[in-house]
Amino acid sequence: MSDKFILLIEDNPSDEALTLRALKKNKISGNVVVKRDGAEALEYLLAPRGETGLANPLPQLILLDLNLPKIDGLEVLRRIRADARTKLLPVVILTSSLEDTDIVRGYGFGANGYVRKPVDFVQFAEAVRQIGLYWLIVNESPPTI
Amino acid sequence: MINISQNLSERYSAALAHYLSDPDEDVLNQAYELGRKALRDGLGVLDIAMLHHDALQAVISGQSRAEMPAPAIAKAAAFLTESLSPFEMSFRGYADANARLTVVNDSLLQSQATAEAAHRELEAFSYSVAHDLRAPLRGIDGFSQALLEDYADKVDEEGRRYLNFLRQGAQQMGRLIDDLLGLSRLARTELSRLPVDLTALVRNVAAQLRNAEPDREVEFVIPDGIAVDGDASLLRIALENLLGNAWKFTGRRAVARIEVGTMSVDGEAVYLVRDNGAGFDPAYEVKLFGVFQRLHSTHEFEGTGIGLATVKRIVNRHGGRIWAASEVDCGATFYFTLGERIEKP
Repeated sequence: MSDKFILLIEDNPSDEALTLRALKKNKISGNVVVKRDGAEALEYLLAPRGETGLANPLPQLILLDLNLPKIDGLEVLRRIRADARTKLLPVVILTSSLEDTDIVRGYGFGANGYVRKPVDFVQFAEAVRQIGLYWLIVNESPPTI
Repeated sequence: MINISQNLSERYSAALAHYLSDPDEDVLNQAYELGRKALRDGLGVLDIAMLHHDALQAVISGQSRAEMPAPAIAKAAAFLTESLSPFEMSFRGYADANARLTVVNDSLLQSQATAEAAHRELEAFSYSVAHDLRAPLRGIDGFSQALLEDYADKVDEEGRRYLNFLRQGAQQMGRLIDDLLGLSRLARTELSRLPVDLTALVRNVAAQLRNAEPDREVEFVIPDGIAVDGDASLLRIALENLLGNAWKFTGRRAVARIEVGTMSVDGEAVYLVRDNGAGFDPAYEVKLFGVFQRLHSTHEFEGTGIGLATVKRIVNRHGGRIWAASEVDCGATFYFTLGERIEKP
């Protein structure tokens, strides 16, 4: 899997299906890897291979839900930023919460963006289209390790 | 205070010495009288008790105990008990009051803890409302849309209509949740009262409404220089709701007119927002400011029924009042005050 791909960290199956559908409808190329709780996501990202390096390729973008089983989204973000190998990865929080504390803490832990999932699917698909377009095409990613 | 107490102390010692050597009813009464005088002079009960103690101490140490006849010592002790009793009662009263105060204080602390717990519960509740209630709505809306898009050829006209109802219902509930969250957030934000240019705020909100629906012809009447003392961000929310309502309910007027004004009633500034829209039946005025109360069907005018409840909460938080006047089809006027200092004429 050498191509650009998105890591979607999302525990709600309905939201997962909708996000995948929105990506597909907007013809955002590349694969999507889905992890369904915080522990699984960190295991995928930080699993070591030998002395150096990582077992899995790193995504070009992480879409991170906040309310996750086992390890919550903010803690996942904190650990991504605390590890030299993943600290530059673009992470966009994609959540239901519009609480100021979540937004402030999200940015405080080093999120690159914070998007609230709208109830209206047309708006949701548009938000996903813009995120995908910006982070996979417009934006220059940090060089891979 | 020191002078009184020194003076009294000396006289008290003398009175006691006198009484101990020559037990006489008059001398005892004199000593009591001194105590009462001290109370009238504003000496505290504790001060008098100290005085009493010092005086007795002085009398006893002034004479060697051997020289003092046993009956005199017994008398001194009895006197001490007797004369201290009014003070002791006062102390008891003081201690009782103190104990009661402690009980009241404890129950206050308990109520405060209960209130804080309720507050935390509310926080947790609104958080889960935001997170957990919105997710299934997104599913209902999203998959209805997916059916409309991917299975359009398998669903007939009627089926598509139902799917659209599903979507509308989900979206409406999403808006309700957002508005309720906004209302609960209002209760949690601190009020910061500063001078606010209400005219500028009103013009800003009016421009926002025009931008959203540029095709509508609405005449705004906004006087210059309305200045208030209030919380700018809360006032903006209140005005967005009041002007937004005026905008919405004049939607069927060929010439819509929205007027903002101020007047003085008994020295108190009253602000008003008037429109020439659909108005409401004054019989229902009491329901106007309740949460989820609507006086028009969704067919006529859209809405969640939270706007005016929000405005009322904002006005109340400023220590002000809100009321309205209307006739059906004759427009509506909303009046509010902001609990500002009343100017003397």
